[in-house]
Amino acid sequence: MFFQVLFHALTSFNTWQTALQFAALLVLPALGGVISERSGVVNIAMEGMMLTGAFAAVMITLLFHNLGVTNALCVIFGVLAAIIAGGIMALIHGVISINFKANQIVSGVAINIFALGLTSYLVFVLTPAGQGVPSLPASLRLPTLSWGPLSNIPWLGNVLFQQNVIFYVAILILIGVQFLLFGTNIGLRIRAVGEHPQAADTAGVNVRLLRYMCVISSGLLSGLAGAYLSLGVAGVFNPGMTDGRGYIALAAVIFGKYYPYGAAVACLIFGLGYGISLPLQDLSNNPNLASLLYTLPYVLVLLALVGVVGRTTPPAADGIPYEPGSE
Amino acid sequence: MAEPVKQTEAPEQRPPASRFQARMRKFGAALGPSVVAVILAMIAGAIVILITWPDKTVGPFQNIFNAYSALITGSYGSLGNVSDTLVTVTPLIFASISVAIAFRAGLFNIGAAGQLAVGAMAADIVGLTHTSWPSWLLVPTMLLASILAGAIWGGIAGFLKAWRGAHEVVTTIMLNWIAFFGTDYLINSAPLAAPFGVTSTLALPPNATLPPIAGVYNQIFAHGQPVLDTFTYKIDISLFFALIALVVYWFIISRTTFGYELRVIGQNPKAARYAGIPVKRNTFLVMAIAGAFAGLAGSTNLMGQPGYNLTATAFSSLPTGFDAIAVALLGQTTAIGMLLAALLIGGLRSGSTAMQAIAHVDPNLVLIVEALVLFFIAAEFIPVLRRALPAWLRPRFVPTLQATVVARTSVGLPENGNGEAQDEVELSNLDKGE
Repeated sequence: MFFQVLFHALTSFNTWQTALQFAALLVLPALGGVISERSGVVNIAMEGMMLTGAFAAVMITLLFHNLGVTNALCVIFGVLAAIIAGGIMALIHGVISINFKANQIVSGVAINIFALGLTSYLVFVLTPAGQGVPSLPASLRLPTLSWGPLSNIPWLGNVLFQQNVIFYVAILILIGVQFLLFGTNIGLRIRAVGEHPQAADTAGVNVRLLRYMCVISSGLLSGLAGAYLSLGVAGVFNPGMTDGRGYIALAAVIFGKYYPYGAAVACLIFGLGYGISLPLQDLSNNPNLASLLYTLPYVLVLLALVGVVGRTTPPAADGIPYEPGSE
Repeated sequence: MAEPVKQTEAPEQRPPASRFQARMRKFGAALGPSVVAVILAMIAGAIVILITWPDKTVGPFQNIFNAYSALITGSYGSLGNVSDTLVTVTPLIFASISVAIAFRAGLFNIGAAGQLAVGAMAADIVGLTHTSWPSWLLVPTMLLASILAGAIWGGIAGFLKAWRGAHEVVTTIMLNWIAFFGTDYLINSAPLAAPFGVTSTLALPPNATLPPIAGVYNQIFAHGQPVLDTFTYKIDISLFFALIALVVYWFIISRTTFGYELRVIGQNPKAARYAGIPVKRNTFLVMAIAGAFAGLAGSTNLMGQPGYNLTATAFSSLPTGFDAIAVALLGQTTAIGMLLAALLIGGLRSGSTAMQAIAHVDPNLVLIVEALVLFFIAAEFIPVLRRALPAWLRPRFVPTLQATVVARTSVGLPENGNGEAQDEVELSNLDKGE
């Protein structure tokens, strides 16, 4: 009986559509995390950067909409604002952890608290009577990309060709980041800075600059994911709406062993766990089975860390501020 | 709290006049960074109010004044408010001990929130399944269950760190979310859930609860007369447990071999290994102990506060776990410091509702202030500020051991580097060294 339900859930296109949607949402901050950690800066603040991005996207979209700008432009400005907002949060993390050489975990925790406080506070200040942001009309959301006849392929069309535009952007970025890290000179430098900054510095690499770039790009990507969440998936901004997704992305980074493709596979697995939880809950008679399935990503990561799924080791200099001249 | 700031600014270099003065100077140096961080964060919060100006019926500066005075009166303005604040402070003390004891061993316990959740859950399960037990047996059993559950939850992270090399930050974050969703499942499941689709557990029976302090007072000092109203004064006797826990924490850290070993591991794991200290075993143990304290935060709050039940999805938005990190850092992981910091952060939390009601400032301002406190502490900004000042404004030379070292220890978590740790002198070592 249970397996029949499971089979139904696994073969329905709804499951896979949701899974891929969720995976795309996770993979963006996860890629940011990969870049940042590869360069040697621990980033547990993807959650906060995503939240800031989600907030900025909705607010700027509404602002331009009220100014009378055409809908498409509003959305584009919203997405850009989200990316910049995520970048600014990352810049704060960068200044504190690279320049001030602060504990990067404390800084990350602070960013997450700061983002939650700031966005909730600003929602209260910026919306009339502080009652929150209204749900956006369809014309102000990120559109589902139309692939013409491809979308009509029975199962595959639903899963692959009826996704939000950011889904395809995410795939491009995934390929780009993998190439950047493992196919280019810059990627080699980034990895060198994360493994042995002293050696990289001796070889003439600007350690601080590179780390700044990497941290900021993790913010840009997380901000984009925030825009996807608020403008694409939810169509609204609620305080604290990221709801731990930044932490799942962090889990994906580690589960994927700090490789872009690895993180993507992890996101896909986590996405499938999420996609399958709703149909399973509907089909079985247990109304709160979903809560148990939500734990799946985290359990998998723990198993990965124990070594059941292969051991994960972070870059050697991950989390250690660079002191020029130290051995 | 304000006056010791002066001590950091300009303790002149002169022979210590007396033990008392030396002590005061040291105390001031220790308190300095935290106090300055809080003051700066409060100023930044004021600037946020100034810019946003949420209450247009009064001037912006009046708005700031209203907000902060509401914050103060709302948290410590009346005995009833103090009692409400202490309700927030009690679990915060337990959780911050959990964070701090791990800090001392160089570990970063982000998992207090999850350990708190499983602790509360375990106590709830025991309480709801053994309703017929007498109070003197049931209450200690529940507390023990929460200690055990928290210890297991923390211990997993400790085990993974010690024997598999998995970073405890990562594992505790994962364990947090497993705890949040797992408790959601249990709360909604058949044996515990309240009927009619309410997403919370049944209330604990009276014999499974901790009495409010007001009730105990009425019983003992007023011969059963209701002198103190238990509805106004909600704080329960778990406050005393928290204070005892602080003493226990102080004792473990500064009066036991285990505590000494922890500090050595925290400052220099290599030296600890060479000295024959069982690093792995102690890493596991300290995380388990950290979890136990956090577990108590969950169970005492469950058993002490009216409602006496757990609500689904409440744990993931409960701020205690992250507030505890702020408290531990702000209190520089000393027992007294954390008590003060918990009173401050808990006060901010509990006063924020009054701030909203009176000054129309959103309570999330408190979150911003808290995050800024963390930033200022983490960034070890005092030496940087001093360097940034023009020479004539710069306070006279401060003996390095006094201010800068202590400022570093406040966040000089050994996790941050390999070599760095050796140069740092712990606050407590200063105590003994002089």
